[in-house]
Amino acid sequence: MASFERAESFLREISLIRSETDLAGALGEVTREMGFHHFALSHHVDVRETAETAIRLHNYPDDWVDYYDRNRLGVSDPVHRASHVTSVGFAWSELPRLIALTPGDHEILARAVAKGIGDGFTIPAHVPGESNGSCSFANPAGIVVPEDALPSAQLVGAFAFEAARRLWRVRAGDREPLPRLTDRQRECIIWVGRGKSDWEISRILGVKEDTVARHVKMARERYGVGKRSFVAIHALFEGSISFHDIFRR
Amino acid sequence: MLLIADKVRHPFETPALRAMFAARKRVFVDLLKWDVPVIDDRYEIDQYDDEHAVYLILTDRDGRHLASARLLRTTHPHILDTLFPQLCASPPPRGSDTREITRFCLDRRLAAADRLEVRNRLVSALVEHALAAGITTYTGVAEMGWLQQILAFGWRCRPLGLPRRIGGRMLGALRIDIDADTPPLLAASGVGRAVRPATEPALQAA
Repeated sequence: MASFERAESFLREISLIRSETDLAGALGEVTREMGFHHFALSHHVDVRETAETAIRLHNYPDDWVDYYDRNRLGVSDPVHRASHVTSVGFAWSELPRLIALTPGDHEILARAVAKGIGDGFTIPAHVPGESNGSCSFANPAGIVVPEDALPSAQLVGAFAFEAARRLWRVRAGDREPLPRLTDRQRECIIWVGRGKSDWEISRILGVKEDTVARHVKMARERYGVGKRSFVAIHALFEGSISFHDIFRR
Repeated sequence: MLLIADKVRHPFETPALRAMFAARKRVFVDLLKWDVPVIDDRYEIDQYDDEHAVYLILTDRDGRHLASARLLRTTHPHILDTLFPQLCASPPPRGSDTREITRFCLDRRLAAADRLEVRNRLVSALVEHALAAGITTYTGVAEMGWLQQILAFGWRCRPLGLPRRIGGRMLGALRIDIDADTPPLLAASGVGRAVRPATEPALQAA
């Protein structure tokens, strides 16, 4: 049980941590002890959020980070996408099993290898009502992912993400919370997600078309987006509606 | 409304219990595909549903099931010590002040936003119940996705061992320490809600 004790001592340490620098330090240390070179803890950034409130903590090579940011890979990154279809940690070698990899994805993965990020293990971290996130541990190409460390990595990743959430929550402070969708707006957006027009929704809900148009407009304004289909995607992303809401009935 | 059912002699002794066992079947068997016993094709009831179990049940105004959880005494056989001892690095916490939370169940009828609200109320009710009943420690087994949510409630959690893949699911065991500081911790993470149990027996029978 030596690896559990190591994970436990990390968890004791982070329960007392009050700064991002200290969390990064502790995470860097446990990362090395588990047999990895790098860690990256991040929200798969919500386009509405500023960099202020989205979690991001890592010790990846600088030139990979530059490339990553220039190409806005936070959301399209195949590792992030794969982490949206599972709640269990996965080795990157399993990516093709989890999602269909496009030529663009293969290019991203090849570039990562060239920049010193070869193989890794990612722990998804999804909290309903918030942006999806994950914690990854990575090694340069040629250095194998340590199989026997994966259960501790799973635990360390889950608790480290939660520790980061608490630090970032403090940082976000008294930031005005976004207004919630009203029940009527939600109902309309679920029908928008099913591809219905305002007129169709008005017939389904038994209200005037103007009324539906107003609800959809208010919802668009809430997310600050112009297109109705994008409202549904935002609402799904933050958990105001679920895929289950759209597919049921 | 919050109902607390104790010393249950028959699983169907109140409509709220019956509705809960039916909701559990829809969630744990139909949705999550757990391999657990089903009675009359409609109710998920197992060997731990006996007079030692305590149930917290949230219902709507019409008495329909919204959410529920089952608490098992750790001084009696429970899930962690009988089914998943391998999830604990040391023997699982046990004692009259320690209960195991099992079958945390959010009704499938709930839409996403309502689910979160009802979930928050049930978590708050579990904490209030612990404080009222002298429970200082909850334990539980969770799949990793659910475990991440449990951590996010803001209460103090510790793992009991390394997660393991068991029967196709990655499971971890946790202990949650409850004291007077726990309600403010829930409030700080946006989960805390005021929940009072219904005390009128007439309401329980309704």
